[in-house]
Amino acid sequence: MEQSPRRAGQPAFDRRALLRNAALLGISVPALSALLQACADSPTGSGKGPGGGTPTEGLKIASPDNPVTWDIADDNQPIADGLQPEKGPLRVYNYADYLGPGVIKAFEEKYGVDVKVSTFNDTDEAITKIRTGAVPFDIYFPSYDQIGRLVTAKLIRPLNHSYIPNLTNVWESFQSPWYDGEARYSVPYSVYTTGVGWRTDKVSEDVAALDNPYDALWNSDYKGMVGIIDDWHTAMAMVALRSGVTDVNSENPADLEVIQTALTELSAATKPKVTVSMYNDLPAGQLGISQMWSGDIVNAQYYLPKGQSADILRYWFPEDGKGLVDNDLMLVLKGGNNPVLAHLFLNHLLDEKTSLKNFGYIGYQPPQNSIDTDSLVADGYLPENLATAAVRKEWFDVAYRLLELTVDNDAAWHQVWQQFKAGA
Amino acid sequence: MTAALLPDAPESPESPAAPSRRTREPRGGRVLGPLLALPGVAWLLLFFVAPLYVVLAVVFGGVDPVFRTVIPVWNPVLWSSDQPIYVLTHIVGSDGIFGPALLRTAVYVFTASCLCLLIAFPIAYYVARLSGRWKGLLLTMLIAPFWISYMMRMLAWVNLLANDGIVNKVISLGGIFPGDTEWLSGKSIVVILGLVYGYVPYMIIPLFAGLDRLPTNLIEGARDLGANRFSAFWRVTWPMSRPVVIASILLTCLPMLGDYFTSDLLSGAPSTSMVGNLINNTVLTPGQTGQAGAFVLLVLLVSLLPMVYYVRSVSRSDGAIG
Amino acid sequence: MSSLTAWWHDPWRKPRLLAAVTIVYLMWSLLPVLIAAAFSFNAGRSRTSWQGFSLRWYYGDPERSVWHDDTLQTALFQTLRLGVLTTLVCIPLGVALAIGLHRWRGRIPSSANSMLLLSFVLPETLLAVALLLVITQVALPFTLGTTAQVIGLVTFQLSYPAILVRARLATIGHQLEEAAQDLGASPLSAQRRVILPMLVPAIVASAVLVFADVIDDFVIVRYLSGDSTTEPTSVKIYNTARAAPTPALNALATLMLVAAMLAVALGFLLYRWLGKRTGEAESIGSFAGET
Repeated sequence: MEQSPRRAGQPAFDRRALLRNAALLGISVPALSALLQACADSPTGSGKGPGGGTPTEGLKIASPDNPVTWDIADDNQPIADGLQPEKGPLRVYNYADYLGPGVIKAFEEKYGVDVKVSTFNDTDEAITKIRTGAVPFDIYFPSYDQIGRLVTAKLIRPLNHSYIPNLTNVWESFQSPWYDGEARYSVPYSVYTTGVGWRTDKVSEDVAALDNPYDALWNSDYKGMVGIIDDWHTAMAMVALRSGVTDVNSENPADLEVIQTALTELSAATKPKVTVSMYNDLPAGQLGISQMWSGDIVNAQYYLPKGQSADILRYWFPEDGKGLVDNDLMLVLKGGNNPVLAHLFLNHLLDEKTSLKNFGYIGYQPPQNSIDTDSLVADGYLPENLATAAVRKEWFDVAYRLLELTVDNDAAWHQVWQQFKAGA
Repeated sequence: MTAALLPDAPESPESPAAPSRRTREPRGGRVLGPLLALPGVAWLLLFFVAPLYVVLAVVFGGVDPVFRTVIPVWNPVLWSSDQPIYVLTHIVGSDGIFGPALLRTAVYVFTASCLCLLIAFPIAYYVARLSGRWKGLLLTMLIAPFWISYMMRMLAWVNLLANDGIVNKVISLGGIFPGDTEWLSGKSIVVILGLVYGYVPYMIIPLFAGLDRLPTNLIEGARDLGANRFSAFWRVTWPMSRPVVIASILLTCLPMLGDYFTSDLLSGAPSTSMVGNLINNTVLTPGQTGQAGAFVLLVLLVSLLPMVYYVRSVSRSDGAIG
Repeated sequence: MSSLTAWWHDPWRKPRLLAAVTIVYLMWSLLPVLIAAAFSFNAGRSRTSWQGFSLRWYYGDPERSVWHDDTLQTALFQTLRLGVLTTLVCIPLGVALAIGLHRWRGRIPSSANSMLLLSFVLPETLLAVALLLVITQVALPFTLGTTAQVIGLVTFQLSYPAILVRARLATIGHQLEEAAQDLGASPLSAQRRVILPMLVPAIVASAVLVFADVIDDFVIVRYLSGDSTTEPTSVKIYNTARAAPTPALNALATLMLVAAMLAVALGFLLYRWLGKRTGEAESIGSFAGET
């Protein structure tokens, strides 16, 4: 793909010209100007009107080497202490099958409110809908790589920790993480690795023993039964690692070109299914081998057809931890109507027992201190053959992390992904 | 689906519109007509025509620098054509990332429409003209899929085509094939057949309505004059049913052009992406909403000619339209 | 029996072959749906292998049956709500538009008519995306959700009542109305007392068409839905079919199927009764739009 300075169809945004034009427009066409004004008042946010955007440089990019503590703006203060919870309904915005029904029910009974869970397929879709302000969602479960944009646009509320005493239950590194110093805006929900999952009855070779286990996804013997995670950054980062590019947030056009070529080869070799439902498709037999989140392979054992033993499931993640590790967050959205209730829900999910119960349902490990990674198999959370799906605290020091990208780079990455998804 | 939404067969002696051609304008119509039509016309202008302008404003608009969501530009003078130009320059050539999906859409829709016609015409012809006393029952069964939601019908096939589904079981029962075909992973043929399955009722019904209205006396006349069954069909029935056939094809392939869910449900692989998938994938992706809009305009332009043809042919056979 | 022997002697006589094609087609088109409906009664959680009859997915299962799973019920009610609301808005609007256009000659009504036909053939995805952009980019007194869905659906469905009723008006002609006016009725009361009653069968037919079509709709309702409370059955099926469905999903789809069939059957009975009263022969074909 051509890497022109005016990157990939994202029209460069000439602020001054637009301001000038908007001014001209305002003078010459009063009616249209009124329309413009109407858009500025719209809840869409995007209708800030030309020139109203925040300059690109304003976006801070957090990374383990460059920890960020986000400011708390005067017009976006945390809620006061000791408020009564609202009457609900609490609107939760999340991936499908990513929250245990029993856990929700317990919260509903405890506070006498309704909890409505809406689902999204990918966080791009989610953030666009949140920005439209169309629905007053209270809680959102993104990965940490969106927090900068969310804070900058004041879409999320700073937290009042007095409602969330259970935060002390989580790994110390998450009590003041690099992406959100002092946990001002977020609490952690789950930790997971991204590796390769397969079924031994469909894939005869031992993927984990290969020189480069990622190569198995490119093996045309498995054509039609390969799955790739439908998330641009997660999928492309895996492709980068497979090709020896270890900077999974690279700004180097040459690296992106490598990724693009490998994606094209992948398409040609195995016609992969691009989905987030591998936790169902692999056990159902529609997939034989797939890029997978550790939580999904754990979950997959519950979706096997009756009579099928979970022995056939395998998962590989680099033993030295040099792969992709991630964690998802819980955030309180500013547009929601139930901030107090939302805080209580966060606290509920950080509760030791509740989070273990939830782990049992969703298969995604919470970063709870009480969980001993070495005894997950013994305690029955993981079967023997999926011991590799346990997430170790120490990996978070060596693994590659997906970071928020600068605006231009983000566009470039998205463009490569779009091309892949278009089946070119 | 209604016969009123079809063009008349030529020489049809009993066109329902015929009487109105002879009548004079009703008295008191000057005010009452516009008054009654006003709410409906306003509705269409507001929610059908105006939205198309919003699409233009988005396609030719700007992008928010941080979130890269679209900022529509309402004044045509300020429009920037970066996004449509980007889309247009990436269809063919070395940067042709959209070309394959567009070509695929054309091939899928064309093949599926041909198959639909191949299935629909004989059936509609039989039920309309030859089925005799079974007509009512057959018609009811033909209409039934029309009332069954598209999603339910696709769900049914997802179940049948699953790896341990009935299709594979039946195949392996015959013992000829191993019966472990991965039907639901990126097979063009499955998507095309899915489209046929989904849309063929939308072709049978208008075809039936059209063929049912063909004047019998002409065909009987041809038979009386010595034409055999085949040549009566070829020389009389087929030419007369041509307008109806064309309208039925349009009514089937136009909605297919925007389809993305059939490919999503029956394949899920990028290798079967259609233009509808391009739109669906990008419309909510930051920075690409404008491109989704550009694809919407592209499909609109492509379908404009057939749509105008359709509107003209239906209007012409409708006497009330001057 | 005689037809069997006739077929034996000359199997390629055209109608026989065509009859066979028709029957094979009907099996192909209806059997998969019937099988899917049957699996809603499966005792196990598989949707592909039969494990005995049970009502587990309708009522028995305390968490995931349609009766006990709130999200499935919400979807069901949202579907019915959209069906009723859209029909209530769409039919009066469409009927008035039909009568108006029928009485109004000139350039404006003729382009309005073209606009109406265009809205009928425009690929649904295009209209849905356009309306999504309107709602997310323009300040409006409503956002994504039921209102937006109803607006989208009415726009897409308006052509049914408008065109069906116009076709009926064309067969009625203007004479009756003129006669009523000759007898002293005002133009408006001539419409109300003479024309409207004659339109009732066409109105009923189009109401059934609109209702049944709306509860099957997917594209518009998905793009214009807000949170999960405004996602109707078809969207629920689409979302779940790609994740991890249980036979409860088949049960939900089966219930929708029954609702649609009931609506059509009741509509048809009403239609035929009305037809008998006004002395017109009516068949189920009218529901396929044979006006």
